[in-house]
Amino acid sequence: MAITLPKTSSVLAALLKADYLVLWRNRRASLMALLMPLIIVFFWKGAMPGAFILANAITLGIISIGLMGYANAIARDRDKGVFQRLRVSPLPLWTIMASRLLVQLSLILLLTVLAFIAGYKFDGITMPATSYIITFFISLIGGALCLSLGQAIVGLLKTPETVNSTTRLVYLLFIMTGMLGQFNYFGHEFKVIVEWAPYGTLKTILAAGLDPARWDNHVSESLLMAIGYTVIFSIIGIKWFKWSVK
Amino acid sequence: MDATQQNNILQVDNLNVYYGTVQAVKNVSFHVQQGEIFGLLGPNGAGKTSTLSAIEGLFRQQSGTVTVAGYDTLKDPRYARAAMGVQLQATSFQSELNVVEILDLYASIYGRTLDSTELQLLLKEINLAEAEHKKFGQLSGGQQQRVSLAITTIHDPKLVLLDEPTSGLDPQSRRQLWSRIEGIREKGNGVVLTTHSMEEAEAVCDRISIIDHGVIIATGTPQSLIDKHRNDPEVIAVSRRGKITLEDVFIALTGSAIRD
Repeated sequence: MAITLPKTSSVLAALLKADYLVLWRNRRASLMALLMPLIIVFFWKGAMPGAFILANAITLGIISIGLMGYANAIARDRDKGVFQRLRVSPLPLWTIMASRLLVQLSLILLLTVLAFIAGYKFDGITMPATSYIITFFISLIGGALCLSLGQAIVGLLKTPETVNSTTRLVYLLFIMTGMLGQFNYFGHEFKVIVEWAPYGTLKTILAAGLDPARWDNHVSESLLMAIGYTVIFSIIGIKWFKWSVK
Repeated sequence: MDATQQNNILQVDNLNVYYGTVQAVKNVSFHVQQGEIFGLLGPNGAGKTSTLSAIEGLFRQQSGTVTVAGYDTLKDPRYARAAMGVQLQATSFQSELNVVEILDLYASIYGRTLDSTELQLLLKEINLAEAEHKKFGQLSGGQQQRVSLAITTIHDPKLVLLDEPTSGLDPQSRRQLWSRIEGIREKGNGVVLTTHSMEEAEAVCDRISIIDHGVIIATGTPQSLIDKHRNDPEVIAVSRRGKITLEDVFIALTGSAIRD
């Protein structure tokens, strides 16, 4: 009895179409993640250097998308049994997650573009073309870091409620420690910790991407650190991830 | 593989499934032939869903083999899954997608392209032509069940697995479901179903197996099981309607204690 398997590219295209539709129908939630960086650009204009403002704005947006957008959607669909239904079909399992991740990464790229536009409109921030290109790549690295953190959270926690409250807590912690820590409010040691935490490393590499002349050893070490975090979170998120919590 | 086995759309041999140290399925073996409706009956926690989950590839068995349409579920899992259509006990689709979008998605996943005529025909078949643009989350329980069954059979699978398909359905929807299942059989495809309704199993299944504590304790046609056990003192003791039914045999074999 000969069975023909569907083409992986067609399956991935169908999943992407469905996931983009879901993203569009939940656009209010995405809008919140996109608005936050624009608000930062608007309120900080003139008070800080342009690269610093944009780096913070993009970092917060990426964390919001990776944590709240991705992790909560995965936890909710897992709880409903959406993944179990997909798992009994002949698609390669990796396409399920690849589609979800690609949708979130494209949202992160959109966020980066919007932050550039807001920076230009509100604060007249302009950069050479290379800075824009480097920042796009660094946004993707930052996206991978935050999405892997989201994956680690859904890997370790089971119910959508606990995932939701944990992502909000982590987000809040990142904002509080990241933004206050960098201003030296809690002392030098705390500032060093924040610098090497995911928020700090991400902000450092984004700021250097926006102003490549500032790229030094510290930035390269931060980039390695960000990649390291991504690998560790991915391992945790994949190793402990369960397709079903029932 | 002998000639008889070649006619088997599903072949399960010495299947063992564990959850940690608890053995949920113990040396289970059975087969389903082309054009046969096979019922897997058992009380709650007997191992029905675990057996189906191993066939579907949701759990990996510790030992034993499962072959669907000639494909080993461990060696060729994607081919085996492509040969079967599955309706899970608890399943859902993205609640933001509408009926047409869900049908379109799963048709693509199974390698089918539905043109608008085929799509309308399918929607009519499941009585959802009026609700085609309703989001899945807005459908009633019966409508959701019908969408789920339509997707189960969207690729004309050789084997259809239905885990308690009539649970929560009103009599009209149940009647329609059985007529669809009859249609699957008429095409020469095999069906495995689990149900708690002995009347349904007796009326619809060509053969059944009764499973309890992970072990198959009886297999045969519903009538042959009734005939075989009609004189057992336990069966006579639980019989309430003057004539022996499959439910009487089932309760006598699995005990009358309530399971969680």
